[in-house]
Amino acid sequence: MDATLHLLSLTSPGWGGVLLGGLVASLQVAFGGYLLGLLIGTGGAAGKLWGGPILRDLLEVYTTVVRGVPELVLILILYYAGTDAVNQLMALAGLPSVDISGLAAGIFVIGVVQGAYSTEVLRGAILSIPPGQIEAARAYGMSPLLALRRVTLPAMLPFALPGLSNLWLIATKDTALLAVVGFAELTLVTRQAAGTTKAYMTFFLAAGVLYLGITLVSNLVIRAIEKRALRGMTRPGGAA
Amino acid sequence: MKNLLKSAAVALLMGVAAAGAAAAQELKVGVAAEPYPPFSSPDASGKWVGWEVDFMNAVCAEAKVKCVLTPVAWDGIIPALTSKKIDAIMGSMSITPERSKTIAFSDKYYNTPTAVIGPKGVKFDATPEGLKGKVLGVQVSTIHADYAKKYFGPVVSEIKEYQTQDEANQDLASGRLDAVQADLITLQAFLDSDQGKACCEVKGNVKDDPEILGAGVGIGLRKEDTALKDKFNAAIKAIRTNGTYDKISKSYFTFDIYGK
Repeated sequence: MDATLHLLSLTSPGWGGVLLGGLVASLQVAFGGYLLGLLIGTGGAAGKLWGGPILRDLLEVYTTVVRGVPELVLILILYYAGTDAVNQLMALAGLPSVDISGLAAGIFVIGVVQGAYSTEVLRGAILSIPPGQIEAARAYGMSPLLALRRVTLPAMLPFALPGLSNLWLIATKDTALLAVVGFAELTLVTRQAAGTTKAYMTFFLAAGVLYLGITLVSNLVIRAIEKRALRGMTRPGGAA
Repeated sequence: MKNLLKSAAVALLMGVAAAGAAAAQELKVGVAAEPYPPFSSPDASGKWVGWEVDFMNAVCAEAKVKCVLTPVAWDGIIPALTSKKIDAIMGSMSITPERSKTIAFSDKYYNTPTAVIGPKGVKFDATPEGLKGKVLGVQVSTIHADYAKKYFGPVVSEIKEYQTQDEANQDLASGRLDAVQADLITLQAFLDSDQGKACCEVKGNVKDDPEILGAGVGIGLRKEDTALKDKFNAAIKAIRTNGTYDKISKSYFTFDIYGK
């Protein structure tokens, strides 16, 4: 037991600090990826609902392809081929090649994947708003943007939150897939610590506890957000 | 919502900007992002240590380039080099004709034999006859994987490929493998650990095949970077003659790993 605690202590020769560093990297990617995903998702949902036929078809291709290909494969494609493509574009434009850091690539990959799912979540949520509410906003002479901000977004939030909170939890665990490209997030540093010390049980359990901790804290936050979004109304599809 | 979107955009921009700034004038040297003792492995403070790390520092100092060690997944290390995520590989990569089709190599900087290890108490040799019907473990996309497929593939019951050498060693210790083939020195590091001491021993070195096992380990470089290759070759030669190479090696090995 003593030896175990010793291995997990925060300063060298314990590996606790390394694990926490990995946790921070994981959270950065999850957070950045999730926000980028929301951004893509909002645009995507709007495009699918109100865009022209070409935009709608393009978005359909995007959501189908991304949701149809395993995330691990997408990560490998975007990380290796993606960087190469960006640099070739830069060369064509006469600009120096950029180095895409693991963090930026990770956020981009998770964001693209999350974007496809949140497009569908948000589209479904917007469709669940009684059309009369949006028509009423228009009747008041609100511009589309104002109506989006004042009516559509707040009204769809209760329908979107369960799906969006699921996506956040998935995002935190999808970061583990970045271990395959050598990005030093929690899973990779855990494997390195375990491999070096041979204390496999200790480190994988510790990593499991950290992942679980993310979920528990997230649940608290999600509950608070849900409570606020649902103020003044009964919970859709259930008791308050 | 608006604030969320704004911070997402800012985070993204910062990520790209930070990535751009780091690109200036530093040579990114890739190593496999896995413990590969005694050549390169992370320590508890997250720093990379080992013979190859010391070697990298010596060669880069000699060549007067600023090198930054960059851990990359082993099975993607060549794509990482060609897509310019890294500028050189110092990851115990053997110089083989197959790899030379894609990337260039410096002169060799070490060369050690290939061995097969197995559990204590079972007697067999590192030959096709000895490994007949056994389950053999190797690391993916290594010279050992290629060698095992060619020479042992027809006779063994299965060749299992692992992402990291460490995982193969673990499966041998837990009894899921009958034998593991790899570089003798890294296997020796495993056999010297408590776990390795308890379970396994060297069964012998495999018959050499330079076509597959290559002519030693070199620095992997992009084909177009010929100036860098010349610089590194001169630096390797210099540290071989001025004694730096031997000094580094002495603290890790009892014999000369440069090979003939």
